[in-house]
Amino acid sequence: MKSIYKYILVGVFASSFSGCKPDLEVEPNLILQGELVWNDPTLAIGVLANYYDRLPIHTQLTVDANATTGLLGWPGAARYDEAIWSGSSDNTRNNIISYPFTDWQLWDYTLIRDINLALEDLSKSTQLTAVQKAQYTAELRFIRAYVYFEHVKRMGGVPIITSTLQYDFSGDPSPLRRPRNKESEVYDFIGSEVDAIKNELGNTGSNTRANKYTALALKSRAMLYAGSIAKYNAPYIGTLSLPNGEVGIPAEMAQGYYQKSLEASKEIINSGVYSLYKANTGNLGENFFEALTIKANNPEVIWAQDYLQAKGRVHNFAYNNIARSIREDNLASSSLAPTLNLVEDFEYLNGTSGELKGVGTGSNTAVGQQNWIFYTNLQDIFANKDARLYGTIMYPGTSFKARPLNIQAGVYVWNATTNKYDRFEGDLNSVYTDGKMLTGGGGPQRSAIDVTNTGFYVKKYMDTKTNTSSRGLGTDMWWVRFRLGEIYLNASEAAFELGLQSEALMYVNMIRERAGFGPNSLTTLTLERLQNERRVEMAFEDHRLWDLKRWRIAHILWNGVTGSPDATMYALYPYRIVRPGHPDDGKYVFDKIVAPRFQSPRFFQLGNYYSAIDQSIINNNPLIVRNPLH
Amino acid sequence: MKLKLLAYITLGLVLTLAGCAKDNYEPPTSVLSGRVVYNDQPVGVRSNGVQLELWQPGFQLYQKIPIYVAQDGTFSASLFDGDYKLIPLRGNGPWATKTDTINVQVRGSATVDVPVDPYFVIKNEKVQRNANTIDATFNLQQVNTSRKLERVNLYIGTTTIVDANNSGANAQMLASSITNLSQPVTLSINLPASLSSKSYVYARIGVKTEGVGELVYSAPVKIQLK
Repeated sequence: MKSIYKYILVGVFASSFSGCKPDLEVEPNLILQGELVWNDPTLAIGVLANYYDRLPIHTQLTVDANATTGLLGWPGAARYDEAIWSGSSDNTRNNIISYPFTDWQLWDYTLIRDINLALEDLSKSTQLTAVQKAQYTAELRFIRAYVYFEHVKRMGGVPIITSTLQYDFSGDPSPLRRPRNKESEVYDFIGSEVDAIKNELGNTGSNTRANKYTALALKSRAMLYAGSIAKYNAPYIGTLSLPNGEVGIPAEMAQGYYQKSLEASKEIINSGVYSLYKANTGNLGENFFEALTIKANNPEVIWAQDYLQAKGRVHNFAYNNIARSIREDNLASSSLAPTLNLVEDFEYLNGTSGELKGVGTGSNTAVGQQNWIFYTNLQDIFANKDARLYGTIMYPGTSFKARPLNIQAGVYVWNATTNKYDRFEGDLNSVYTDGKMLTGGGGPQRSAIDVTNTGFYVKKYMDTKTNTSSRGLGTDMWWVRFRLGEIYLNASEAAFELGLQSEALMYVNMIRERAGFGPNSLTTLTLERLQNERRVEMAFEDHRLWDLKRWRIAHILWNGVTGSPDATMYALYPYRIVRPGHPDDGKYVFDKIVAPRFQSPRFFQLGNYYSAIDQSIINNNPLIVRNPLH
Repeated sequence: MKLKLLAYITLGLVLTLAGCAKDNYEPPTSVLSGRVVYNDQPVGVRSNGVQLELWQPGFQLYQKIPIYVAQDGTFSASLFDGDYKLIPLRGNGPWATKTDTINVQVRGSATVDVPVDPYFVIKNEKVQRNANTIDATFNLQQVNTSRKLERVNLYIGTTTIVDANNSGANAQMLASSITNLSQPVTLSINLPASLSSKSYVYARIGVKTEGVGELVYSAPVKIQLK
């Protein structure tokens, strides 16, 4: 008996040794080696898709669950001057005492290294054709250039690393340390990369994978940013610059960058590949909405981050932001509430400034009511405005998915003894004693959550299909990164800065014509005019913050001063008039008030123009210099 | 059974209490205090707006300790004893950037004045109430001439903390209207309803230099309204 155990023991002992060697040579079936990936076109495209998916985000339609700051993704849009937060009771986005210097920081060398590694593995590929290799190489280099653009617009100059750095295990990592490149060098790198790869990208006709025009669009935007930083940072040399140029671009480089931007924009425009979306000629507002949301055969969108319901790739932007009165789920809705500030920046079609007419102060006094205009219909106050307002924002008196939004804050009832109207507000869907609506199902309400706090809802990027605002289904609305509309405005601004007034007017007037202004609506141009044009054309498309930063006016508009009209976010509350027997009975009035949930004026300091570099990065690499004012 | 549970809980609490003293470090007890001065006069700034950097070399992780200057130009920090280096944060305050580092030895306590080279100083300021307005008259003196004047402001508020970000009302004059710096500048604010009902307000003059984020301020003046 005992001897059997002995044999077994010996047998097991022996086999445990013999088993070792083959085990270590088994190919892992969960990790694909570089040479495997880059010899198989299907796998190669899978890796490319992974890199497209990992591009840094800011106010895109999804929320990055891994974001440590919790700021990345669409909720970030409630932190500036396009919207405030009207969702869950977490009110931090309405109460930013000052933007932390850590905001927008990015240091994603993991992604850059992955791209560099892919480029090196790809160059060793034996199975791919030369054409495939050239195209994938160009595509990887485009993605890398875009990632560098995302870095430089947030951090200023960063180290440009174009190959993988290998550690030699010598115990001394200092040979791997690289200093920051100049801010201008990073922009130059983006420009030269685009020039080098644009003709090899392929992907003709694709608006989700990069092609020649995607690369040119990146160049158009990046060169415009560089030009305006060179020009508008000039007064801040010394405070907002570093001695070796890691931050701050010399003013004399501005012209060259504007020139490059204009050339890239013109190459896209003159190619004729893209055109402004004008399919819906009957309703210009609806047309502008469709320009961003119609995915099939869209002639305007150059590059988008796409989603697909059929493959289960969806997101919850609609669930979180649909108007309360038409939501299809039992929770959330209404998180982003567009501000009156944005609404009033949409001009009237006759070219006059967009302030709404005949609004009260909301003080509930006779004085506060004396400016009222009594409107027959809720939407009349928005009559004759830029059609893009309708395409961007859901406002009182309109419908979505053929369902009325019912935006009404309450009623004003005539009080004959005090000679003024008394204000009454109620719960959602409440009825006043006269049997008609008191407060509508769409709010606004002053302190409630998940209902608009400003009187407006986001329309851009909202899905018109049934049940897309429910968690069960979700929406597959895409996120537009580049579109021809922006390229026109880039071209206009670059031409304006180069003194080419008539060319600048031509481009901006084409954009305005689609918005209903008629041909050649502008005859003179100022930078302020172009700034406002970008604000209204590209609201909620993640341009506002970066535009204000590159023009160096963010700290002037968002000055942190209580009561400052640009730093304070306003709301528009509509009311029904109750005054039986009087001609104004049943008409509507509007009060402009500071949005009730908005608490601290936006405060952007000079130190916010470049995000802080994390101390751990500097500890690991003492060659990295800190950004100014940090 | 109940008794046993109680005993465990008591034991647990005793251990928890006993653990306290062992775990904690002593808090820093030494105090570094001082002023930001020009000609031995403190320079008024916005509260929490201007930062001094304190560095302590000789340790593996080299990280600054930020010290914020109070609005009257003073600052203080609780520190461990040691040798520190103190510098104004470059480009932050309303003064020209200096690269001079001040070495500070902290042993129990230390006081240090940080001399700066301001772009402008406010002199002979007089703030008074006339009927329903608050009027300020003052002289501007340019010290460092490397940057130009952008504007001057008069701020009033209900507390002693008054600055560009904390004020109930303000009046402004752009540099284009100030042609001769040797002449006194006059600013006037109509008291808004929100302030005229108070029994007193505080007023402060601020001077903005082009290309610099922070303003230089005069000392707040209390003005009796009633």
